Amino acid sequence: MFQRIIFEDWTEGIPELSFWLTFGVFLAIVLRALFMKKEKLQHLENLPLEDQPCDNTEDEQS
Amino acid sequence: MNSENPVQTIEYNDSCVRHFMIASIIFSIVGLLLGVLVASQLNFWQMNGKFLEWITLGAFKSDGVEFLTFGRLRPLHTNAAIFAFVGNMMFAGIYYSLQRLCRARLASDLLTRIHFWGWQFIIICAAISLPCGFTRGKEYAELIWPINLMVAVIWLVFAANFFWTLAKRNERSIYVAIWFYIATIVTVTMLYVVNHLSLPTSFTHSYSIFAGVQDALVQWWYGHNAVAFFLTTPILGIMYYFVPKAANRPVYSYRLSVVHFWSLVFIYIWAGPHHLLNTALPNWLQSLGMLFSIMLWAPSWGGMLNGLLTLRGAWHKLRTDPVIKFFAAGVTFYGMATFEGPLMAIKSVNALSHYTDWTIGHVHGGTLGWNGFMAAGLFYWLAPRLWNTKLFSTGLANLHFWLGMVGILLYIASMWISGITQGLMLNGTNAEGTLLQYPNFLDTLQSIRPMMLFRFFGGLIYFTGFVLLAYNIARTALKGTPVNGTIEVDVSESWERHKGYSSFFNAPIAYSAALILTVMCAIFTSDIAFILSVSASIAVCVIAYAHFDVGRVKWSTWHDQLLEHGFGFTVLVIIAAAIGGAIQIIPTVTMERANNVEDRLQIPYTPLELAGRDIYVTEGCYNCHSQMIRTIVPDVMRYGDYSRLGESIYDHPFQWGSKRTGPDLAREGGLRSDDWHFFHMRNPRDISPGSNMPNYPWLFTKQTKVEQLVPKINAMRRLGVPYHKPVEEEIMAQVDQQAAEIVQRLAAKGAVVEPDKQIVALIAYLQKLGSYQDLKAAEIADN
Repeated sequence: MFQRIIFEDWTEGIPELSFWLTFGVFLAIVLRALFMKKEKLQHLENLPLEDQPCDNTEDEQS
Repeated sequence: MNSENPVQTIEYNDSCVRHFMIASIIFSIVGLLLGVLVASQLNFWQMNGKFLEWITLGAFKSDGVEFLTFGRLRPLHTNAAIFAFVGNMMFAGIYYSLQRLCRARLASDLLTRIHFWGWQFIIICAAISLPCGFTRGKEYAELIWPINLMVAVIWLVFAANFFWTLAKRNERSIYVAIWFYIATIVTVTMLYVVNHLSLPTSFTHSYSIFAGVQDALVQWWYGHNAVAFFLTTPILGIMYYFVPKAANRPVYSYRLSVVHFWSLVFIYIWAGPHHLLNTALPNWLQSLGMLFSIMLWAPSWGGMLNGLLTLRGAWHKLRTDPVIKFFAAGVTFYGMATFEGPLMAIKSVNALSHYTDWTIGHVHGGTLGWNGFMAAGLFYWLAPRLWNTKLFSTGLANLHFWLGMVGILLYIASMWISGITQGLMLNGTNAEGTLLQYPNFLDTLQSIRPMMLFRFFGGLIYFTGFVLLAYNIARTALKGTPVNGTIEVDVSESWERHKGYSSFFNAPIAYSAALILTVMCAIFTSDIAFILSVSASIAVCVIAYAHFDVGRVKWSTWHDQLLEHGFGFTVLVIIAAAIGGAIQIIPTVTMERANNVEDRLQIPYTPLELAGRDIYVTEGCYNCHSQMIRTIVPDVMRYGDYSRLGESIYDHPFQWGSKRTGPDLAREGGLRSDDWHFFHMRNPRDISPGSNMPNYPWLFTKQTKVEQLVPKINAMRRLGVPYHKPVEEEIMAQVDQQAAEIVQRLAAKGAVVEPDKQIVALIAYLQKLGSYQDLKAAEIADN
């Protein structure tokens, strides 16, 4: 019933190529995140809280 | 700088935060009220202007007011909600958190003032121009070109102020919230500029430089990423700063936030084509859009979980603290909306959901639930701190939360039911699949009317909640005193802040760039060039490994450097965001249009039809009518042969639409008589009982602006539409002749109108829809 004209064959490979490109980027970022230094992480995650005392106690009611 | 005392007290510029917050609250009321009004128009056609007759007790008589129709007010509602409400909220949140994360005052008070007043001026211009019918005819990109230029200038002022502040910061590291802000600034700039490229024909009118499928692709690349980079990434930045503040705990996992950021920025930009599934868009683009939309599930949910788990140990505050309530619900709605979006981007699901209220429900889950609740949480958290007092009423804030929650749920649930019901009815066929089950479009409309009413009440309840917020914040401000935050900063601490380029120009980046370049060459070339490119790729890998192995270079430090240097980071974000757009748009724009029309070529509009098309765009008909018959059986059975690429190739802008409150018009030409359209536009209910379409009485009294046809046709010629060089006398003669023929046919049916009225041009346009030149038949005839 429907006949689409495939006008440029090479474009059909782009989704797959794009997927692998993205997967490569994702893998690189995951590795970078995993190997980030602990001290650096602690410093970064506490940046928003530097002007207020941080409450790290777990809530006993929760 | 005082050299004897390295510790300085810095006073933050919090007055701009107050200004943006107040503006956001005002425009939230305006935007939501407009939403309630347009929702009421879908239920009661009289709300398109007739209601003024009742309010003024008959002193004002009209069957419809042009400035108040759904087609003109719906763009005003969406623009007010996105750019005025969320835009101002975003600026308030960014400016507050940026100063504290940088431990520095905003770089320029002047730029900040220009940014604030410039943005409000733009909003006022939009509020005037859109009801007047000045529009580009593209969703969320309706504003006319002079306003587009103002937006670009003010956005650059914001960017300059932001990056200047970043450059003079007193904190070495760049927190993840700032990453999201950087992504917002660079990506919105790119999207906005490309999608608003236009050729002006007058001060208030222009044609998009793209047409047909190209325009559709660029529009939804922009439209989808306006959601991604205007309504999502800045709010995620706000989440990463303010949720830890409200919970008084660091973010659950900073590692996860790193993965969340890069995955989101890299993947989001590719997903735009999911708005065009089953249309004439080339299949590879549809596959790409669907694939990347599904991939979005992972980073979106990673971010949502990171936000929610930040509240670990603070859940008891949910009972008492309205800020935590709003943040927790807002982040949950983010999760819901980002689950639903990829689901709707699956081609088979999209065949049901597209063009229905399901999409409307999905969008409002994001804006009301995610953006609206995050805004409310932000304002309730900020107000006591900005005015140095307690919140006027925690009880009212809690009431706001529950009103908002009930309102959203009523709204979304009714739109889900409405969308799925109408989708099933529109796609329903008999058991043999040979006949439509509900051939009359109006039957499907009548079945969802109760749901449309629920939507109206849901929106009204949500709006009431924001009225309470405005009252609560106003009373808080009145009982407090405006204060600016301060901080003690040791300015003797310094680092190599001017060596930002080293984070970008280093070995790992250089090798990666070389590899991408050679691989790209291998993909796009053949023969000798292909072999050379593959060899070069392998050589780059070998040299990079040797360099790393022999030199023992500490390559891993490049990422740590990136965390401290805004320049290198920004360049990488630009590359990440640009790749997706470039791979989609460049092949589509550069391919030779004439070779890719699927055997059908659109016949250019006559001057009168072109004038009629501009009236169609002015009235915002695309808000309710599509012009795209999809490659699905029920669409073809209902509206005719599916739309081909070549059939809208000269449409600047494209008018494929995104919602069918009324039927598709792609093959409307010749389907009905001129007098049918005449009487239908005067009062749709005379022809189609039960229709919710507005009356258009002014089309019968206002003149068609034929004097603008010469510059318009000239602009079309420049854009590649095959018109002859326009001669004014010839154009007028053609207009007069075609108008006279239509008027004559109308008169024969008792419809009397003068030939220079807008209704005549509009009928000419509607009767042209779906006409094309059959290239295959022409080729056979030639042979």
